[in-house]
Amino acid sequence: MNKRLRNALKGLTNPDAERRRRSMEPFVRSTFGMFIKYLYRYLGNEVECEDVLEDVYADIWERPERLRNITSEKQLLKTVYLYYMRNRLREVYRRINRNLNLSQNSLKDLIAPEIGTLEMVSRSELQDILAQALGKLKARERRAIELWMQGASNRAIANELNTTVGAVKMLEYRTILKLRKMLCYYNRED
Amino acid sequence: MSDRNREIHELLVDYADALRDGCIPAFLKSLTREEAERIASSWEFWDATEISRILNGVGFADKAVAPNVSLFISRVDAEIASRSKKSKASPHGKRRNRTRSAAKRENRT
Repeated sequence: MNKRLRNALKGLTNPDAERRRRSMEPFVRSTFGMFIKYLYRYLGNEVECEDVLEDVYADIWERPERLRNITSEKQLLKTVYLYYMRNRLREVYRRINRNLNLSQNSLKDLIAPEIGTLEMVSRSELQDILAQALGKLKARERRAIELWMQGASNRAIANELNTTVGAVKMLEYRTILKLRKMLCYYNRED
Repeated sequence: MSDRNREIHELLVDYADALRDGCIPAFLKSLTREEAERIASSWEFWDATEISRILNGVGFADKAVAPNVSLFISRVDAEIASRSKKSKASPHGKRRNRTRSAAKRENRT
């Protein structure tokens, strides 16, 4: 953890609210990129990510107790997700909740799930792990996932692979499950 | 996402697409009762959602970084100021309401 972030964290856990407010700027500058990238996994939408993050930072200012004794960025990210982001993520969808067929628990698991070990691996490490796993896939499976990661629609992927949209969906599903098996070493500790 | 009664593999791919395109609410609203039950009972679906999130994070999160952090900091500061004002104002507000209702009661009697 860099010195700037360490000092900001020290200021943030101070009992004086005004001092906490002053420490917020260096804290946001040090963590904004890390937090928004993480949050993007769950929302996939910059505007909502910023809205959620605004509330998360204000929550941290209001109740910073959880951030005491943080020693690493990984621990910080985990703590912020578990104690601040998850509540806010649930609130994003609370307003549409009444009209959904999905049960409360399923919605909670889908929107703000328990944390997986793999989800706490650093981004660069994750890229390496994923590149290795993609390298072990069949050419067609790898191409489908790569195209999907480039933002291609299922129709576009089907055209590229000379197949139907239905077959692409099945291919993607099986490939994702295959990737899951390959990455099981890093998955949920339980 | 318009198909009704989608199979679990279609539901997962639609979820992953919705996550990538930032339209999860549309996916949630598109679920029928049967599809919702199918999702709830499929462990494969839940296993695969974690990988979908990771693919989304690795593939697209870089594009999500807003260039102007200073502007965002001013938003956070405004939110903190508003909460701070509320927390300072609320005990007075409550007291004022209490005295008002007490005054009302006295007037009635």
